[in-house]
Amino acid sequence: MNKEEIRDVILEIIQDIDEDADISDLQSDLPLRDQLDLDSMDFLDIVMELRKRYKLQIPEADYPELASLDSCVAYLEPRLKDS
Amino acid sequence: MVSYDHIIIGGGLSGLAAGIRLARFGFKVLILEQHSRPGGLNSYYYRQGRLFETGLHAMTNFADPGKKDAPLNRLFRQLKLSRKAFATLQQQQSTILFPGDRSLRFTNDPQVLIDEVARLFPESAERFRKLVDLVVGHDPFQPRPFASARKILTKELANETLADMLLWPLMMYGNSCEHDMDFDQFVIMFQSIFLEGFFRPEGTIKDFIDLLLNHYRDLGGEIRYLAPVKSVTQDAGRVRSVVLASGEELAAKFFLSTAGYPATLVFLGQDDPSRLDQYSGKMSFVELIYLIPSEIRSKLRAEDTIIFYNFDSPFDYCCPDEAVNVNCGVICFPENFQDLTIGNECQVRVTHPANYHHWKKLSQDEYYPMKSLWAKRSEAVVGKIIGNYSQNIVYQDSFTPITIERYTGKVNGAIYGSPEKIRDGRTSMSNLFVAGTDQGYLGIVGAMLSGVTMVNQHLLQTSEH
Ligand SMILES: Cc1cc2nc3c(=O)[nH]c(=O)nc-3n(C[C@H](O)[C@H](O)[C@H](O)COP(=O)(O)OP(=O)(O)OC[C@H]3O[C@@H](n4cnc5c(N)ncnc54)[C@H](O)[C@@H]3O)c2cc1C
Repeated sequence: MNKEEIRDVILEIIQDIDEDADISDLQSDLPLRDQLDLDSMDFLDIVMELRKRYKLQIPEADYPELASLDSCVAYLEPRLKDS
Repeated sequence: MVSYDHIIIGGGLSGLAAGIRLARFGFKVLILEQHSRPGGLNSYYYRQGRLFETGLHAMTNFADPGKKDAPLNRLFRQLKLSRKAFATLQQQQSTILFPGDRSLRFTNDPQVLIDEVARLFPESAERFRKLVDLVVGHDPFQPRPFASARKILTKELANETLADMLLWPLMMYGNSCEHDMDFDQFVIMFQSIFLEGFFRPEGTIKDFIDLLLNHYRDLGGEIRYLAPVKSVTQDAGRVRSVVLASGEELAAKFFLSTAGYPATLVFLGQDDPSRLDQYSGKMSFVELIYLIPSEIRSKLRAEDTIIFYNFDSPFDYCCPDEAVNVNCGVICFPENFQDLTIGNECQVRVTHPANYHHWKKLSQDEYYPMKSLWAKRSEAVVGKIIGNYSQNIVYQDSFTPITIERYTGKVNGAIYGSPEKIRDGRTSMSNLFVAGTDQGYLGIVGAMLSGVTMVNQHLLQTSEH
């Protein structure tokens, strides 16, 4: 997947997790958590959803890499290049 | 042998919630339920063509769908269920009644209780407001040893009657210890009942269980009924498989038991009696269910959703010396929720603390007369509070600690399980965890939160899959 596709997947997963998530004016360099009012449990759901869809294991130590949309894309791009 | 990622023992609310959470992420999950239907303590049955809910007075933790971080809404999000599509009806009002005509009313607006305390105990009004702040600021989920809620309340409120009146509903709806309550548990119950409040689903508990069950199945989860687990096989500190009463063996990588901690120790063969006794609750109850014609409601005191009454002085939450203690109890009008249309008949449900051992020793011939005897005694006391309804009963049913034990396997019929909770859910086996009542979250919403929390803590973030 390319950057754009990964970005869309993340946004899709977020909307899937939270029916009320408003992604219309999301700043891609700022923490998702604050902008979307996500808690750590919601965060776990993003990780689990990636695991389910792409068999991708993200170790807990790497969770901070998923803080913003930009950092998610940077972290996932090499890992999902063949997906 | 068939093998699963996860096997969940028990198809009550904690088991169903855990199952949904796991199936949602693509794991191969099996729920094993001993009974012929799901729901556990919170199920339903049919009599005379009418559906009766076994355990529903009200659900706790009411929150409007918009409040994202409220426990109820988080729970729905975690289960991938739409909170908006789940129609809820809020309580009318509830009342705590104590000797000397003392009464405190509360609704889902915490201000009502604050005002009521100020009316009845003006000298304690300020202290009560401080207690509310203390509760709001307290994180009850940090691991801590037992702290006496009574002691803390005595210190904070300096008013024993007020402390007792606050404790009574919270104990009745979620305390497995006698006499006192763990302060963390007090805080959880205070928030879920006094600050968030009571509601019920617009539909029946059957609709609610069907919603969970269909969702679980749609996500690929499997459930088997009439499949009681008898034991587990072990290997080097891990559970390998569960063995059913039929002798069938089923393997999995991880196991979650919602059957209660004593039952789980029995599965493991760690059934030394003193250990089992340590984890066996003493608090059980009888529940009396009446159907009365709706037109007589106008002659009764029937505006509350729930009345928590206590006429014992001093007040003590404990297993009674007699078979039942009718001096205290809960009276619920399951039709008294906002916007609920009332049909020709309505229910009155009454719950009293009961002594399991008195009921256990009865023969078949003695059991039914004993039920009627105590129902009569209960009606005499409850009639004084809400007015006489005895002559108008269209249908009545009751269940005792023995009924609870028979249908859910709860040792001693102890609805709230072990007085010592296994907060971290761990057992002596590295891949077996407990959830539900004996993990520590109580009630319908609590049991579901327990299932979800244990899955999150132990079963999702592991690299062993
Ligand atoms: C009369 C009554 C009224 C109540 N009223 C309310 C209320 O108004 N509001 C509220 O919030 N809560 C209420 N509760 C409490 C609430 O029902 C429980 O706290 C909650 O349902 C517990 O869920 P659980 O999953 O932890 O346990 P359970 O419901 O006990 O689930 C455990 C399941 O495991 C199964 N099981 C046990 N042993 C085995 C085995 N060996 N093999 C396979 N399966 C096994 C059982 O059959 C059961 O289905 C009430 C309870 C009762 C009894």
